[in-house]
Amino acid sequence: MTTNGQKRFSYAVLVLPAVLIYLTVVAFPTIFSIILSLTNYNGGRIFGNPDIGFVGISSYIWMLTEPAGNFYRALGNNMLIVGVSVFGQIPLGFILAYILTRKLIKRGRSFFQTMIFLPYVISPVIIGVLFNVFILSQHSVYMEIVKIFNPDAVFTISKTPIAPVLVVVLWMFTGFYMIVFMAHMQRIDPSIDEAARIDGAKESQVLRYIILPSMTSEIVTCAILAISGSLRTFDLIYAMTAGGPAGQTRVLSIFMYNAAFGGAPNYPLANAISTVMVLISVVLIIVTRQVGKLFKEKDA
Amino acid sequence: MGEIRKNSAVLTIILKVLLYFILIFFTVMAIYPIIWLFIQSFKTNQDYMLSNKLAPPSTWFVGNYQFVWIQVKFYNFFINSVIYATITTVIVVLLSNMAGFAFAKFNYKITKLLHGLFIVGILLTLQSILIPLFLMINAAGLFNTRLGILIPYVGLGLPMGVYLATDFVRNIPDELIESARIDGASYLNIFRSIIFPMCAPVSVTLAIVSFTGTWNEFILMNLLTAGDTLKSVPAAVGRFAGNLGSNYGRLFVSLSISLIPILIFYFIFRKQITKGVAAGAVKG
Repeated sequence: MTTNGQKRFSYAVLVLPAVLIYLTVVAFPTIFSIILSLTNYNGGRIFGNPDIGFVGISSYIWMLTEPAGNFYRALGNNMLIVGVSVFGQIPLGFILAYILTRKLIKRGRSFFQTMIFLPYVISPVIIGVLFNVFILSQHSVYMEIVKIFNPDAVFTISKTPIAPVLVVVLWMFTGFYMIVFMAHMQRIDPSIDEAARIDGAKESQVLRYIILPSMTSEIVTCAILAISGSLRTFDLIYAMTAGGPAGQTRVLSIFMYNAAFGGAPNYPLANAISTVMVLISVVLIIVTRQVGKLFKEKDA
Repeated sequence: MGEIRKNSAVLTIILKVLLYFILIFFTVMAIYPIIWLFIQSFKTNQDYMLSNKLAPPSTWFVGNYQFVWIQVKFYNFFINSVIYATITTVIVVLLSNMAGFAFAKFNYKITKLLHGLFIVGILLTLQSILIPLFLMINAAGLFNTRLGILIPYVGLGLPMGVYLATDFVRNIPDELIESARIDGASYLNIFRSIIFPMCAPVSVTLAIVSFTGTWNEFILMNLLTAGDTLKSVPAAVGRFAGNLGSNYGRLFVSLSISLIPILIFYFIFRKQITKGVAAGAVKG
């Protein structure tokens, strides 16, 4: 074998296992899902089935116009989760990261970091079941606390059932953003900070003129993480409320799952929802790249 | 002067107390529900229903643990989880390093396309491919088999793995590979004896991310298996929440013993886990 041939062969051997599995399990199904969303396929055989035909974008139109407005409610809940991230977890995570990275306290930094991040590593299903008992029942800790003030209180489903879900989302992911910010703050060149100190800069000035300006790209990254994270949210809500009552705590992924696998299947609708989720992801990828480029140019 | 210095010293102390207060508050919020769960798991169902939910048990009852572990055979789910997480992790680490080496050090035009495909996969969500995956696994006759779960797990672990490994191998100097080539080593030998061992740091990070991810996975496990024999711990928890929900003590035990392994794992590898999470998040 020639050297070139050998090189090409080695490349193929190294790359093919990963590429083949990835194409089969991720890339192909993505395209498959988009194609299915344009058909009336609703279970059973796919190939050689005379009842299957292309129906264009009618599933999308139905999704967007059906009178109950389920799609918009699910999308709205996704946006609420993004909102909790942007206005809750990201600022809180930033403050915690700042306190811990800047060594504003002497003792227990590693302890605090470990404990605050801990909820993130737990399986979301376990968290969902736990908080269902913790908040959402007559026999919950929440009711026990309510009863301290009003002994006759009886558990009722809240008028805004998404609120407890958002609290748990906040609980679970604040530590995640803390870790992301810490990783970035630790990369700030210590010599800049030292130079500023020698010039007599106060801690507040270091924060304002050194740390915050270097964090802008990071905050954009976190906002993107928040959106993709909200798209991924499934297990937690599935285990905590199953999307109920009456679909009020559904996010897109739960809406999709219920359409496909809950009761009477509606694959065209489910595939249309999936495609919307893919589209949002693709937009995010493009935005991420553009933002990356923008900040690289700025640095150069 | 003395007055001002005294004031600023007082201010510093107040600030310190405030900072500690913030951190302690967040720490308590983060771990209280978990500690509460472990304490309540020692109550009988009746004790839990009748007692104050914030109070510890009047007598510490271990019968729930016996029931869930022995009667419900919860250990089976642990064995399943260990099998899935270990096999997935080993394959993902190996394949990611192989592809990472090829993408980083072989200058073929197709690399850009292939590598780009994996990068796109990082932000794609599993839920958006659930239906086709379900149909394909069924069509392939792999529904309710270990293989039918492991193949998707590996595929879903690869984007992050390939991304991290390629990034790591890029920083390995080309001279190492060139001099080994001059000594007559084949590329595959170079991978086995030079690149793969040098990738140990990224492999550890990747292994931990992959292991915890697989250990916690729920939706595919729930969808692609029927019955109890193949289910992992989270899927079992999801399944028993309904059945055991009528018995709070037993429900709390099933949650508690599901938590213990991941907590131990976290306390041992917390540095690597946080590093892996940060590395994955800052891909940009």
